[in-house]
Amino acid sequence: MSEKIDGKIYKFFADIVFKKTGIYYPERDYYRLDSRLEKMRKQFKFETIEDLYKKCSSLMTIDMEMYLIDICTNNETYFFRDQKPFDALTKEIIPDVMSEQQNIKIWSCASSTGQEPLSICMSIAEAGINKPYLLDASDISEQALAKAKSGIYSGLDVQRGLPIQLLVKYFEQEKEGFWKAKNEIHSRINYFKFNLFTGHFKPNYYDIIFCRNVLIYQNQENKQLILQSLFSSLKDGGVIIMGAGESLIGIDSQLQQLNLKSGIVFQKKISKQNVA
Amino acid sequence: MKVLLVDDSSAIAKVVGEMLKEAGFSHERAENGKVATEILSKTNDFDLILLDWNMPQMDGIEFLKFNKEHNLTKAPIVMMTTENKPEKILKALENGASEYIMKPFTQDILISKIQTVTSKAA
Repeated sequence: MSEKIDGKIYKFFADIVFKKTGIYYPERDYYRLDSRLEKMRKQFKFETIEDLYKKCSSLMTIDMEMYLIDICTNNETYFFRDQKPFDALTKEIIPDVMSEQQNIKIWSCASSTGQEPLSICMSIAEAGINKPYLLDASDISEQALAKAKSGIYSGLDVQRGLPIQLLVKYFEQEKEGFWKAKNEIHSRINYFKFNLFTGHFKPNYYDIIFCRNVLIYQNQENKQLILQSLFSSLKDGGVIIMGAGESLIGIDSQLQQLNLKSGIVFQKKISKQNVA
Repeated sequence: MKVLLVDDSSAIAKVVGEMLKEAGFSHERAENGKVATEILSKTNDFDLILLDWNMPQMDGIEFLKFNKEHNLTKAPIVMMTTENKPEKILKALENGASEYIMKPFTQDILISKIQTVTSKAA
């Protein structure tokens, strides 16, 4: 039988995750910490979660904190997730919205294990877009980043969302059952660790920011904070691509909704000479 | 959605059959490529063919070539096999497979690949 976890223990760990990442576990969602704390207990070889809590509440090592952040951030991802953002990128944003723009700067700001930035590279290549672009990709989780940087995926990973034609074109078989993204896409991506909650954002730098399925884990106040930072990091005329079903409802933002055929994106429009 | 499941392993056919049933798809099984050609020459109402590679009498590639020549079905054909070398995958695609599932796989992979190819075919 699994250990019954005391409310104060949940609160202690939920508070740390919130302070470090902005990811909010309300009391009704404490059960989502059960398997994560169990995993952490095993990793650091404690008898009980109560023992883990006692240790962490007196002195939590950097290792333990990093591990907690890694397991409490949701790294679920797959290639071409939702498809529409990639259609929007290659059929409308780059050719139309940014038709005048040279050297497009793109940021996948919660890139997890790398499937999103690789999907961006493949989409651009498949669309035959020859415009130069820079692609930054960041995540808060070191574990996720390590996998993204390796470019190596399991047989199951490459079967989630990735059409077989693109697998054989852009990946090579690494060892039995594993596949490695070819350099023509993998080396285009600049991976780095970044905390959207506390990081220093490059001002007026990006043309396109992918920020999908990030804000849903934040409370209203932090959504506002992150969106403000992303806004500051966008160039005038730049766009933010959010997840399916995510919106700016209830958020005080200067971003303007841009209705594309492939879906809704949000644009920073300050000066008058901006493209529509 | 009706699937023709072509696999000589009754154990795999059973597991995959259950996955299909759970997803709301009906299916019929053929024990090898030859049996599949016989079924398809009588009835052609399948929306998708799930095709193993290594089978007795007529294997998956032989079935693809036979279908290309005799035009038995226009339903998308998805390979479902342990053969995972890039050259094998390319060979299947060149011979008319629309998608490719490498064993081992999970139910979510099977169903999402089926949905992708059938929505493209529609």
